[in-house]
Amino acid sequence: MKKTLFYIFATLLVLVWLMPFVITMFTSVKSMDELMMGRRWWEPPKELRFENYATAWQDANMGRYFMNTFIITVPSVLGALFLSSLGAFALAWYDFRLSKTILMIFVGGMLIPFQMLLIPVYRMSISFGIYDSYIGVILFHIAFQLGFCTFFLRNFMKTIPASIFDAAMIDGAGHFLIYRRIVLPLVVPAMAALGILEFTWIWNDYLWSLILIQSDRFKPVTLGLVNLQGQWITSWNVMAAGSIIAAVVPLVVFLLFQRYFIEGLTVGSVKG
Amino acid sequence: MRSKRWVPWAFLALPLTMYSIWVIYPLISTLLLSFTSWDGVSMSKDIIGLDNFRELFRDPYFIVSLINNIKWLIGFAVVCVPAGLGIALLLDQNFRGNKLYKTLVYLPMTLSFVVIGQIWSWILEPRSGVLNSFLALLGFKGVSWLSDPSVVTYSLIMAASWRQISYAMVLFLAGLKGVPRELVEAATVDGAGPWKRFWNVVLPMLKPATVVAVTVSVIDSLRAFDIVYVLTRGGPFYSSSVMANYMYIKAFNNYRMGYGSSIATIQFLITLVFIVVYMRNVLKKEVGNE
Amino acid sequence: MKRVLLVILFVSVALVGLGIQQLVVNSYMSDPEPKRVFEELVQQFESMYPDFEVTVNTFAHEDFKVLLRTWLTSSNPPDVVTWFAGERMRYFASKDLLEPIDDIFENGFEADFPKAFVSASSYEDRIYFLPQSWYWWGVYYRKSVFEELGITVPLTWKQFLDVCETLKANDMIPITIGTKYLWTAAGVFDYLNMRVNGMDYALKLTNGEIPYTDDGMKAVFEYWKQLVENGYFIEDATSYTWQEAATYLFTGEAGMYLMGQFIKDVAPPDVKDDLDFFRFPIIDGNLGLYEDTPIDGFMMPANAKNKEAGKTFLKFIASKEAQEYFATELGRLAANKHVPAPDDHAKKGLEMILSSDGVMQFYDRDTDPEMANAGMNGFVEFMTFPSRLDTILKNLEAERNRIYK
Repeated sequence: MKKTLFYIFATLLVLVWLMPFVITMFTSVKSMDELMMGRRWWEPPKELRFENYATAWQDANMGRYFMNTFIITVPSVLGALFLSSLGAFALAWYDFRLSKTILMIFVGGMLIPFQMLLIPVYRMSISFGIYDSYIGVILFHIAFQLGFCTFFLRNFMKTIPASIFDAAMIDGAGHFLIYRRIVLPLVVPAMAALGILEFTWIWNDYLWSLILIQSDRFKPVTLGLVNLQGQWITSWNVMAAGSIIAAVVPLVVFLLFQRYFIEGLTVGSVKG
Repeated sequence: MRSKRWVPWAFLALPLTMYSIWVIYPLISTLLLSFTSWDGVSMSKDIIGLDNFRELFRDPYFIVSLINNIKWLIGFAVVCVPAGLGIALLLDQNFRGNKLYKTLVYLPMTLSFVVIGQIWSWILEPRSGVLNSFLALLGFKGVSWLSDPSVVTYSLIMAASWRQISYAMVLFLAGLKGVPRELVEAATVDGAGPWKRFWNVVLPMLKPATVVAVTVSVIDSLRAFDIVYVLTRGGPFYSSSVMANYMYIKAFNNYRMGYGSSIATIQFLITLVFIVVYMRNVLKKEVGNE
Repeated sequence: MKRVLLVILFVSVALVGLGIQQLVVNSYMSDPEPKRVFEELVQQFESMYPDFEVTVNTFAHEDFKVLLRTWLTSSNPPDVVTWFAGERMRYFASKDLLEPIDDIFENGFEADFPKAFVSASSYEDRIYFLPQSWYWWGVYYRKSVFEELGITVPLTWKQFLDVCETLKANDMIPITIGTKYLWTAAGVFDYLNMRVNGMDYALKLTNGEIPYTDDGMKAVFEYWKQLVENGYFIEDATSYTWQEAATYLFTGEAGMYLMGQFIKDVAPPDVKDDLDFFRFPIIDGNLGLYEDTPIDGFMMPANAKNKEAGKTFLKFIASKEAQEYFATELGRLAANKHVPAPDDHAKKGLEMILSSDGVMQFYDRDTDPEMANAGMNGFVEFMTFPSRLDTILKNLEAERNRIYK
């Protein structure tokens, strides 16, 4: 009996949670006329217009935007993970005077209202000649995410017992070797977890691509979606279809890596 | 770890350099801009000292934005974090389909803010929106979710919470995985009821997850922008504005880059206060562990 | 990825080497129809000038407004951009961010374009803006609805109020409006202002010369109050974008909408032909008839790299053929005065404008941007809380003094 009640409760909760998604799905297969006439968002569509998905893919150029988003997101995530692991390693294992200060600097970066950086970063990318290019956005994402990633990984590395490190040092291992062969494998779960979060954030980034990319051929999916908001008209149905297509990738990434995700954050929290 | 002095710096060289170029330098740039009256377009920038800040604290719309940010802060910390915890506890039981349920509740995080904003504008529409249609079914009059100045900020917080609660839930699910079953079972054997088990065993072990969830929620609430911008632009007449939104309008729509930068500076400083407090907490714990 | 970059580099070098002129145009025409038509125009241009290659980058409207400023001040801006005429353009011209384009008009601007457009396209006697299309504003309604309720099109203010009453008595929303993005309220203000005070007054106001607490201003709001306090506007107007509010006109739940011609772009097919408009009612019979006619077109950043190529392109856009193509495909009015109105609906709009005594751009296109923002917020606040009028006007006046000092 208790179990049934529980099931009902949990199911209700999930249904309520999914409601916005359901609405989006409905909207994505409605015709524009249906939307402009009897706009009740929660009603199922009168006729199914799956061609909205085709329109989103072709006319709205989703295919190319998808490619672009991959080209931007994957190197950014890998770069951020790699560089932050280097910094985290230094901050977690080495006792030097400025280490706490530098940690604070990285943490401070987590707090910056990013709009504040818009114009200076824009100008910098022009002076460096990397405006309107993949590399311009990638470098920025890597740098900007270093704050949170370094902090996160450093905390995690701190939970590895010092004895492992000391033993390796005694064995005469070089520092980089210790980083590569000993510490990194231990933090792979955390890095996978972090990777998922970073992937989702960068995949869904809108503002920075807006500022740093001008040409249509480099645009990521988020910009493509917004372009469906016309000067006067918004094609809600195509936009809904496009949004669902765009959401598929972060969802797949989550599904693929979720066990690391749960594991990764766990080991850190058990150690406290 | 004392060996060679230069070793940590070798590791830090690349990340710190990139960080300084792309983040620290622009940050300082913007901080300096707060002392000018630059419009973002002209070649020259006139230095006006603290005038922007003086104007800020007398600017009624800035004050409204600040107060709204505090409402967001309370909303996120007091509602989203416990709600996320509650849902995590609920879904962490052993039952068929719990993995599916966890994935489904994660879904909001896969959407970009722009999309979330658009969806919620459909839900909150006064005449044909989902919420009001539902209320009408129950016989209630609809609420002016986005046009009633006394309600609008709470509507926005509600829309943002949809995603924030998912985020908190995921953090807590991870944290719960780290609570050893044996401890919980031992407590049951000892005769502790579900509430006591939760309060005395589970909750303390969730401390790291709780701290992360609270911190992230605090930072996100003070940085709130996308939902506000997409749903109301801070309207009606600034009643739902938050600092980031106000800063954006001033800097980019009103061509007052200098003034906008000063708002960003204040926003940064306020968040910094919270972070310093948090870091002290974390660092203290580490000293304790070593 | 490096290979992709290399290929792009190689192609660009090859193009330049082959004497191919590259041109970058940034546009805010993100709606499917205008976007398509503009692309076709670009193709026509490329076939006329085979050694030109044009890249068009399209942006969402709101984003474009923000980005334009960053482009204009950068050392590597696009060569041509879409924009609006009026103060919005003059603002940049006054900061030396725009390139004068007088030389694209062989016989001078007025040979092909109306005299009324000169001031909106120039700054200090030089032309910086190429008009492409323009549209009128009117009170839109559905013919079938009016017929059914036996309503005749109002000419005077009193008749207009009567129409509102009739609509209300029949359980309809007299006037729909979506003020989420503010500019729709500015439209109402503009028309009331022009009808009550005339165009000179309106122009002085946008120039910052008239106090917001002036009696003329108060008079405008007295008339506005009549609409607000009788409940003639749709409830919760601030929740709706203009487009969302328009649906109530289409479904027949609302009777009228003061809006620009582009409302037809969104109307469902069976409603499109049922839509018609009338001139905003006359308040003061002694004043001239003035209308809002926002003009859209192009301009060139001063830092553009390919000015010659850009000017060739602009010349093409200015031509009768290009203007006619664009206007006909979209049902707009071409700026080029040799182009006839594309359909009956447009003819009616054109006639209304030609029989007017003067035209303005639009409150937020002609006023200083920050003042416009404050003003529009004030209008929307008034519509929600009309009793706050005095405080609102006082605050706007304080803003005006600060901005225009």
